[in-house]
Amino acid sequence: MSDFLSMYSVQHWLESCPQGYLVGTEFGHPPGESESELIVSDPLLREQAIGTTVQLVVGERCALAASSGLINSAPDEASKRFLATQTLDEARHVEIFTQRLFDLGLKKSELESAIEQYANPNLMKFAEVLLEKVDRKDFVAGVVGQNVVLEGMAFSVFEMMYAGSQTLNPKFAHTLSGTIADERRHVGFGENRIGSLIQEHPEKKPAIERMQKEMSYYMLATFADSFRNNPAREEFKKLRMSTSGAPKAEWHGADLNALEPEEMESLLADTVLKEFKVRLGRIGIEYQTPIRP
Amino acid sequence: MERGTRDEAADVHALEPEAFLEEVHSFEFWFQSVQGYLAGLSFGHRPDVHGAPLAPDERERLVTVLCNYCVGETAALEGASGLVAIAPNRLTKVFLATQVADEGRHLEVLLHRLAELGIPAPESEIERRASRSLLHFKRRLRELVESRDWEAAIFAQNVILEAMEFTVFQSHARTADLVTREVLQGIVKDERRHIGFGENELGRRLQASPHIRARIGEVKKELDHWVLESFEETLREIGVPNEERPELGRSYLEVVARLGFA
Repeated sequence: MSDFLSMYSVQHWLESCPQGYLVGTEFGHPPGESESELIVSDPLLREQAIGTTVQLVVGERCALAASSGLINSAPDEASKRFLATQTLDEARHVEIFTQRLFDLGLKKSELESAIEQYANPNLMKFAEVLLEKVDRKDFVAGVVGQNVVLEGMAFSVFEMMYAGSQTLNPKFAHTLSGTIADERRHVGFGENRIGSLIQEHPEKKPAIERMQKEMSYYMLATFADSFRNNPAREEFKKLRMSTSGAPKAEWHGADLNALEPEEMESLLADTVLKEFKVRLGRIGIEYQTPIRP
Repeated sequence: MERGTRDEAADVHALEPEAFLEEVHSFEFWFQSVQGYLAGLSFGHRPDVHGAPLAPDERERLVTVLCNYCVGETAALEGASGLVAIAPNRLTKVFLATQVADEGRHLEVLLHRLAELGIPAPESEIERRASRSLLHFKRRLRELVESRDWEAAIFAQNVILEAMEFTVFQSHARTADLVTREVLQGIVKDERRHIGFGENELGRRLQASPHIRARIGEVKKELDHWVLESFEETLREIGVPNEERPELGRSYLEVVARLGFA
């Protein structure tokens, strides 16, 4: 275990993240880049971007609370130190997505009320299920919930957003690329560290499987709320048409610019659930199919 | 504002109070700060720096001291991570997250130094050599954090513990072997930032709600004994002469006194 954990040391993190892919960035993107004019100048698209970014802030606030909260229940020093780096990664994500809200024109004094207004109730429930495990100092369930379920979801969501933003909004795509690299490390730790702990504590499996099923349901409900009955649907169509001739926004074999919102929801949900199944299998947890909202 | 190019002292202190806090509590500020002194280091020291071999009794004393530094840094890591949950706003949460990573780094570089000194299983060695008074302090700090008493916990963590570490590490760095010196000097630079946060946060709260002072005074009274006892033990191990010890004790107490706790 100690050899594997040396890959997750603070020194390794310093060299690969702050002194690696973040060098020369400012709030996660190259200095001087700004939000796409198409989004900032269209009230409906701007509001849509604010709403989406609020979900990212809510998710990252949950991840910050969970990773810092898990440090005191970690069973060994090396895990504590990895979670210390993850805590700072999550705080950085909170900061850069909050900064995006300001870049989209939100005033600092409006931040908390905007979060209250736009935060998806299903995403809040998703966070509650995880934070309840963290509060109980249940390290194994907490790491599965945080580093496999939450981070696995974030990884796919960010990847899809990255693919969709590369042409339309390079600044946001660049912001996302650093977070994707971070999430990859977090998911890797979850998979590698937790497998042996599950073997030591098989009695924890049923509760963890219930947690995964519950969190997965709230995740799917959040996706459904975001993609269905979207008031900006027509605006998005216009936006996509404005990029005709631009390179395809490819993700998992589909051109995101050519998909209807329901098709995007389905692609995202299926991708995340498939990843869950594979990752949970690796740590000895049986994937539980959630109810579809 | 590009990283690493800004004249920090010129910019930051010219900001309005709210903008100042927004700036100094951010990841961006943390990154600019540490980049200056951590770039090119491996586990807290330049890779090509090697300490001269230590005499057996020197090595033995250094191992005991480093083990106790690890206890202090573990207390700081657990304290700071617990404080994230009770921090009152976004900016303090982000600052504390930078502190969590700093404390994790301190623990790592100290454990690595122990390994360099030939300690194969630092965790059991730490348990064996840990000072009773420091362990008591660690337990009490955790209780304060778990009781969600923000002011008392910040006082114990970012004023008392950080000031104690700052004073001891600074003093030890003057006489330590080259490798240990570089490791400690890097930690001291972080501690300065942590103490600044504690003083600023608590200072503003004391100004706005003077009634907090009595409660913090009680915490100080309770912890002083354990702090000064572990202070004395460590200074003895690092070979600080008797006549210099009261001076160092005073400089620790001065930090606490700046907040009006004599």
